Amino acid sequence: MHSTPKTDPWRPARWLSFGLAALAVALLLGWVIAHFPKAPIGPRYVGAGHPSPQSGGTLVFSAGSNIHTLDPHFAYDTLSTAACRLLYDGLLDYDYDGNMIPSLAAELPTVSDAGRAFRFELRHGIKFHNGREITAHDISWSLHRLLSKSTGSPGYPFYKSIVGAPAYHRGEAKRIEGIRVVDDKTIEFQLDEADQTFLNALAMPFAYPLPKEHVEELEAAEGLDAVGRHPIGAGPFAFSRWERGVQVEFRRFEDYWAPRARVDRMVFLENISPDVASARFRNGDLDVIHRPSKVNRLFMRESKAWAPYRAEVPSPSVYAIGLNCELPPFDNVHVRRAVAFAIDRSKLERLNPGEVLAAGQVLPPMLAPHDPELPTRQRFDLQRAKKEMRLAGFPDGLSEPITLWVRGEGDVRGAQLFQQDLKEIGIEIDLKMVSFATYLKETGKPRVAQAAFTGWHQDFPDPSNFMDILFHSRSIHPVNSENRSFYRNPKLDAILDAARAEVDREKRLALYAEANAILADDAPWAFLSYAVDMFAWQPYVKGFQPHPVWLNEYRNVWLDLPRKRVGQGIYEGGAGL
Amino acid sequence: MDSRAFRRFRRNKGALVGLFLVIFVTALGLLGPWLAPYDPVEQFTDRLLLANGLPAGPGVEPGHWLGGDILARDELSRLLSGARVSMLVAYLATALAVLIGVALGLLSGYVGGRTDTYLMRLVDVVLSMPFLLIAIVMQRVFDAPGIWTICIVLGVLSWTTLARVTRAKTMEARELDYIQAARALGLRHFRILARHVLPNVVGPIIAIATIMVARMIIAESALSFLNLGVRPPTASWGSMLNESQSLLLGLPRLTVYPALLISMAVFGFNLFGEGLRDAFDPKD
Repeated sequence: MHSTPKTDPWRPARWLSFGLAALAVALLLGWVIAHFPKAPIGPRYVGAGHPSPQSGGTLVFSAGSNIHTLDPHFAYDTLSTAACRLLYDGLLDYDYDGNMIPSLAAELPTVSDAGRAFRFELRHGIKFHNGREITAHDISWSLHRLLSKSTGSPGYPFYKSIVGAPAYHRGEAKRIEGIRVVDDKTIEFQLDEADQTFLNALAMPFAYPLPKEHVEELEAAEGLDAVGRHPIGAGPFAFSRWERGVQVEFRRFEDYWAPRARVDRMVFLENISPDVASARFRNGDLDVIHRPSKVNRLFMRESKAWAPYRAEVPSPSVYAIGLNCELPPFDNVHVRRAVAFAIDRSKLERLNPGEVLAAGQVLPPMLAPHDPELPTRQRFDLQRAKKEMRLAGFPDGLSEPITLWVRGEGDVRGAQLFQQDLKEIGIEIDLKMVSFATYLKETGKPRVAQAAFTGWHQDFPDPSNFMDILFHSRSIHPVNSENRSFYRNPKLDAILDAARAEVDREKRLALYAEANAILADDAPWAFLSYAVDMFAWQPYVKGFQPHPVWLNEYRNVWLDLPRKRVGQGIYEGGAGL
Repeated sequence: MDSRAFRRFRRNKGALVGLFLVIFVTALGLLGPWLAPYDPVEQFTDRLLLANGLPAGPGVEPGHWLGGDILARDELSRLLSGARVSMLVAYLATALAVLIGVALGLLSGYVGGRTDTYLMRLVDVVLSMPFLLIAIVMQRVFDAPGIWTICIVLGVLSWTTLARVTRAKTMEARELDYIQAARALGLRHFRILARHVLPNVVGPIIAIATIMVARMIIAESALSFLNLGVRPPTASWGSMLNESQSLLLGLPRLTVYPALLISMAVFGFNLFGEGLRDAFDPKD
């Protein structure tokens, strides 16, 4: 490039000003770089050092998406449940070992009639947040609300073994026969047949009582979903306010029946992505974190300073690719098996070490009768997968690509991991990304989604909560099917029905073991992984421990305030390119 | 380009830098997939993953010059094959916009009257629509994210400036003596437009279109970043940004590579376009 002759003469002032400007820019840049915020490598704050629980303070925690509702009769997702756990109490609850304990009930129920009748005595002095004492009538009224057709709660299937519940649900009866209020403090339940999960169902948020007068007034004024916006329960925290999509605030309920909560206020932030939540947590702006982002999780795991303040626990959940057994090619069991054998799950483990475990059966490892040596367990075996494709009549693979429904970016990443594996047996995958709401609606309809990323997190620790709900033919409906692979197997149905009623624990587990083997072999789901959860909390947050049933259980936490800032010398530099 | 314009352009150093960058990224787009050392969707889970599950960095594995991406695929290969997608979308969408914009602009300016009024109101309507929002809605409506859909969506939404400029230039040209003469001689309208009006319009169009390529690169990246762009596992620079964001804090390099390429391309097309505009239209 040749330059044209300079027309400008040498002008020192101009060069000087240019030099000064350049210097100023360089200085500014240097200042910014020098002061660029660096992530602290240890906790920023520590507690005051009180040995015994203190009252006061605000606990702030967050979640990655919206809270759907605060109405327990509709709370069927982990976030709504987490919020409802602060606001409500039920007859029964679980302790930190997963054992069932009485809550509003004075003690565990007396059982009679070969496991078909339950009698509960309520505690005295239990109050709703509006100050009114809770009676057996409230328990009964709330269950009637839950199970009525007009409410349309997703919780109905858990309670249909109560005598008269199906008739009431269909609108053929005015009340449920099997729920009987004996007196103000006594209530009895009568079941059609023995149901070993009935008490688990009563411990679910669905069965949390609401005050009738409050609900009726609200629903008359603002409609059915109003309760979800202005909740009144009997839990350790009362509702303060909800800025929809931003945060819910709770305040301690002073008239709580059990020892009062220690924390004054709880703030539950919504829609904070894992990255942002992790950064805020490390900065001391969040008190507890659940599922930090990948990089932060690695950091927390390796950091010595954080070691006493974090926990990794296997999550009672399973992730899988659901295969629609009504739609070709997955109406053919050999194609389903081929998919199950073609997936190299070790890639997931290598990509997310310590975060996931390879899954080959529906039950997660901590839930009996999970069997690591299950003969029919799904595992990576390419030869076997190819053989199954031949048996299915597709030795050269499928001519059409499969449409796989995914719910978000995490799914997209996971799906890409397996696109390559399935290509090996001649199955091409097209991803269809939809919002979670659309996903739930559409995959719950028959003959819509050919295959979908799917998963299940247990509601209560019992194998029926996985198998009955996900694979029993009774869970198939024209809309909102829980059995989203539309798998029907009379033999499995019979085993599950027998297991549901079986009183003897050993026999019951043997039946579920049989069902577990069938499901792995029939492959309505190609199982992918079990998750391992990570929780971390600030050093001044005391009394937190992961709960085996409730995913985010913060009601017993106390804060060791005032918190003290730790010195500045613990910062790490940025990572290099 | 006449020789005076060419000389003006050559004297503009910024424009030359722009030209160089444009040639560079275009060459990447053309040759990228052939230069890529590996299949961009192949996962090297045994080679490109560290024990902690993060991808290996540059130079850790011989042959993988830029290391692995979040799913242990060869980063360099993905950047190179992503270049093809990003450049293809940008050029095709621009071409579509030019086609629509110039055609409607010529029509509007040459015919005038009611046609002109209606077309210009249409331009106002399209201009008043928030670009990205409409693009997102259209992508959702088509429900088939893919290169061709993006090209069409982007092209259909961005012809307006071109139409306006073409119209103005056409109206100017329409009154020129030799065009009046051509009309008087009874030449067909199409011939007049093609032979006599279009050459008057083409200079500014090229300048605007060049700058538009830059905008298209950004738009495609934005759509892909929002997961509304190309289908995984296909790489584009925007989708690579999206994929790497969850590792931004720990592995900024995965974000920096595609971001750098996007900036380079956009910067280049802008400089080049500005240079062309100055060259064609020295009055500015």
